[in-house]
Order: sequence, then structure tokens, then C-alpha cells
Amino acid sequence: MGRRVGLFAAAVTLALSASVDGQGRGGAQDAPPATPRAAAAFDMTGYWVSEVTEKWRYRMLVPDKGDYQMVPLNPEGRRVAEMWDPARDQATGEACRSYGAVGLLQVPGRLHITWQDDNTLRLDTDSGKQTRLFHFGGSPPANAEPSWQGSSAAIWGGGEPRDRRDGFGGPAQDPKGNLVVIPAQRKEADYLKVTTTRMRPGYSQKNGIPYSANALLEEYFDLFTDPYTKNTWLVLTQVVTDPQYLIEPLVMHAHFKKLPDASGWDPTECRADEPR
Amino acid sequence: MRPAILLLVLSVLAAAPANAQFAFAPPAVDLTGEWGPRVYNTHMDIGDYTGMPLNEEGRLRAQSWHPDQLDLPENLCRPHPIDHGLRVSVSQLRITNELDADTRQPVGLRLHVWWQEPEQVIYMDGRPHPSPNAPHKWSGFSTGRWERNTLVYRTTHLKEAYLSRTGVPKSPKAEVTTRVHRYGNLLTMTFIIHDPLYLTQPYIRESSWILDPNQVIPPFPCEITPEGTIVPAFKVPSFLPGQNDVLQDFPTEYGIPFEAALGGAETLYPEYIKKMKTMKVAPRTTTTHYRRTQ
Repeated sequence: MGRRVGLFAAAVTLALSASVDGQGRGGAQDAPPATPRAAAAFDMTGYWVSEVTEKWRYRMLVPDKGDYQMVPLNPEGRRVAEMWDPARDQATGEACRSYGAVGLLQVPGRLHITWQDDNTLRLDTDSGKQTRLFHFGGSPPANAEPSWQGSSAAIWGGGEPRDRRDGFGGPAQDPKGNLVVIPAQRKEADYLKVTTTRMRPGYSQKNGIPYSANALLEEYFDLFTDPYTKNTWLVLTQVVTDPQYLIEPLVMHAHFKKLPDASGWDPTECRADEPR
Repeated sequence: MRPAILLLVLSVLAAAPANAQFAFAPPAVDLTGEWGPRVYNTHMDIGDYTGMPLNEEGRLRAQSWHPDQLDLPENLCRPHPIDHGLRVSVSQLRITNELDADTRQPVGLRLHVWWQEPEQVIYMDGRPHPSPNAPHKWSGFSTGRWERNTLVYRTTHLKEAYLSRTGVPKSPKAEVTTRVHRYGNLLTMTFIIHDPLYLTQPYIRESSWILDPNQVIPPFPCEITPEGTIVPAFKVPSFLPGQNDVLQDFPTEYGIPFEAALGGAETLYPEYIKKMKTMKVAPRTTTTHYRRTQ
């Protein structure tokens, strides 16, 4: 009898804990989602527009040559930035340098995000008419030729196993000593991380702030609805690591407002001497 | 009591706190630690209201601001409100767990910033915000919750303060919703500022920090000088409407249409780039204004 009550108690514990904390997207016992598309932490698809609230004069205008305030350039980076010549870029077919993966989402414009297939998220921009492909479930081909948008590997981030401690330093366990697995102990993915390499050298800012072919771009996308207007927002944090031109990683941000449709979509070619 | 029954009772009690008043929301992610700022904020120039969805009242207040106001005795040690203090140089940040003084139980998180040492407690135990008539403070009153792995907290009861270091106002009616996301050793905060008096729409901006366990935040001693300041007693420097003679400097020196420098919701979106091409721009007096000493 006592053993049965004990088992009942353990069952009640698990059930109550699950009911209290298991409000998310399913417990650890759930079958794993079949595809990254099905496992999406949030729905990024649709049309979005840049909202430029910071670094306005660097994004809504073409800044002056040599204006690299707030960018941790090393001496070589400053030397290269001082050589910026938009007329030469335009004439030599290099006008897309500021529309590469690092600078693209800093350029004001609209985004159209779709699933190309179950493993590939596609991001198109009207500014510069560029396309980025975020590949889930493995790395893009290692022998891919460097390109403006590079090769991007994507994961839904934040879903790492939570440390299961019982508050006294030991592993949480049931009365039988088995490790307790309850939904509350599994974190849920809640952001998109995109890692991009194999980029052609480009500009992180319109006025020729350089990044090299060896640059590493890590991006984190967060999505939320603001409590005041109920608009949906996509917030991007970018980290650029490039020892060739930077003394430390460059951190940049941008955010985008969800649009109901494609209205305002205004495709433009890459232009070296225009803000978009 | 037999052990099994005792276990049953304890089991039920263990599951109960989620329904109790002021139940503490355990952390989904550990945000505590020392965080080194990556400061890339703009709006350093008088007359730079770019990217801000100001309304006419906000713009008028901003244009009346005079930099000598910083030298008023009552302003010498005036901190920024916490949402702004977290953004301006140098915002070294420490996040610690906040414990109830009596029970020593966790009730939330505490943020400490170096400049003027503002402290912000984010209550995570479900307590309500105080009455609208309660005192307003530099750090306001904040309550938070976890949305999956993101800390989301709402701050009310903020004193009237600034949105920028050059006098753009934020009213005491403003409230701020902040999202805190940890991406490995990177911390990003998104501030959503709602001010029904001075903004036409929420003003959204972001900041990031890098985990820096070796960071030591020094004290920030600040005293009001007993001998006064360079501002004569009983004088409050300000510009009367239409008499601010330095407003044109920023747009002229950067080649920006004057109207665009005044901000407003329309100026935040890509379409405005085309519109600016039709606007008058004053002849530039320099192209190296950005090299000035800050």
C-alpha cells in the first residue's frame, strides 16, 4: 500500500509540475519535429520594413568618407576605409559591396522572407535585389565560391538542455533515483542564429567600412509583438568578427516591422553612392 | 504521519507556488554577471533628433533645451533614467539576483550601471505595480516575466528625463518595455519606449553587452559643489521658441535637410530617402565634423 501511495505521489508531482510549467511547445517526451520549418521558434515569413531609429545619418544617408565613429577598426581597417571611392566601385562592378551579408540588413528597405524548402529560409531584399539563404540541418557546401551573401548555416537557438539541479547541487531525481525529465527542464528555442562565412569582401557601412573575405558574421533574430501598438517586430543583433580590419567584434542592430502585404516593395539595383 | 503520505503532502506543496501570490518566476536563463558595454549610441549633437518619432510637443521641448542646463547645481549629479543610463557611455553593467531582505528568498534581478550608479530592481514575483500616484524615480518600478528564454520587463513610474544626451525629453507618463536576450556571452536589450506625451509611436532601440567576468565597476562619487557652478544663481538657461540659434548646426554640418533632422515617424522609413532628395539642404560648412573632440 505504502509503495503504491509513494508511486501515486510521484505521479502527482510530475503531473502538477507539468501543468504548472509545461505551457510551451511540448514536453521532452514529444516526438522531435520533422523539419526545421516545422520546428520554427517563430514565424518570420512575410514582408518587413526597416525602421531606422539609430545611426540614422549612417543609414538614411551616405556618410562621409572617413566617418567610422563607433566602429572598432584597426589601423589597416582605417587605411582601407580612407581609400573608399564609390565612383570606382560603381564603375568596376563592385557596387554591391555595401549590400553583402554584413551590410545588407543595415541598408533601409523591405524584406520578403519565405521558406524555400523545409530546410532553407530565404530572405529577399528590395534594396539591391539581394537574396540570402539560411540553411538548416548542416553546413552549406564547403567548396562554394565566395559571394556577396556568403554561405549561411542556421539553427533555432536557445533550446539547449537546461541544467537539472535540485536546488542543493544534485541532479533532480524521482523517489527511485531516476533523473526527472519534465517539460520545465527543457528550454525552448526562441531565436534564430545564422552563421555566415565565405563572403566576398564588402562594406559594413555605406561609406566603405571594410570587412574581409575571412570575416565571420553571426546573427541573432528575435521576434516579438510590442504591447503598445501590437505591431510585430523582428530584431536583429549582428556580430562581425574580422581580425583583418577590426580590433574586436563589431556589434550592430537593426529592427523591422511586419507588413500585411508587399505594398511599398521597391526593387533597386546596388548603388554605391546612394543610401539604398 | 506515514512517509508515503508525507511525501504526497510535500509533493503537492512543491507544486503549489505557481499559484501563490508573489510566486517567484525561476530564471529560464542565467543573466547574472558582469557585462561590458558595446556603446554605439548616436544623438550626440544638439539638434539631432533623427530617428525619433517625436510629436510637436516633444520637438518644442527638445528645442528649448540649452546645454548649460547640465551645469545647474541640481543637475550636476542627476542620473539618467535607467533605460537611457544603460545606453550611454560608459554603461558597465552588473546583474545580480535580488533577495527579499527578510526571507532571503529570490524576488527578481537587480541591475547596476556605473555612470551615476543607477540601480534597477526587476521584480519577478508577481507583485503589482504601485498606484499611478506613487512617487516616480530615476529607475522607476519594474516587473518582469520570462517569455521562453527572454526576460521581458515593464518599467513605470519613471521621472521626467531625457531620451538623448542633448535634451530630447521623455515625460513622466512614459513607460518602457525591455526585452533581455542572452545569446551565449552576448546580451542584447531591446527598449520599447512608449510616451503618450512626446512620441507618436513607440521608440525602439537596442544595446548589447559582452560577458566580462573580470570587469570591475568603480564607484561613481558625485558631489554638488558648494561654491556653485558657472551658471548664475536663479538662472535656468533655455531657448524660447524659435530662438535656438544652434539648431541648424547639426543638419548643416552633416548635409541633412533641416526638416529631416527634426525627427518624426515619417523619417524612420525607407520611403523618406526619396523625399529627402526633394528637400533643401544648406551648403555644408565642413565634411569632417565627425572628427571633433567629444
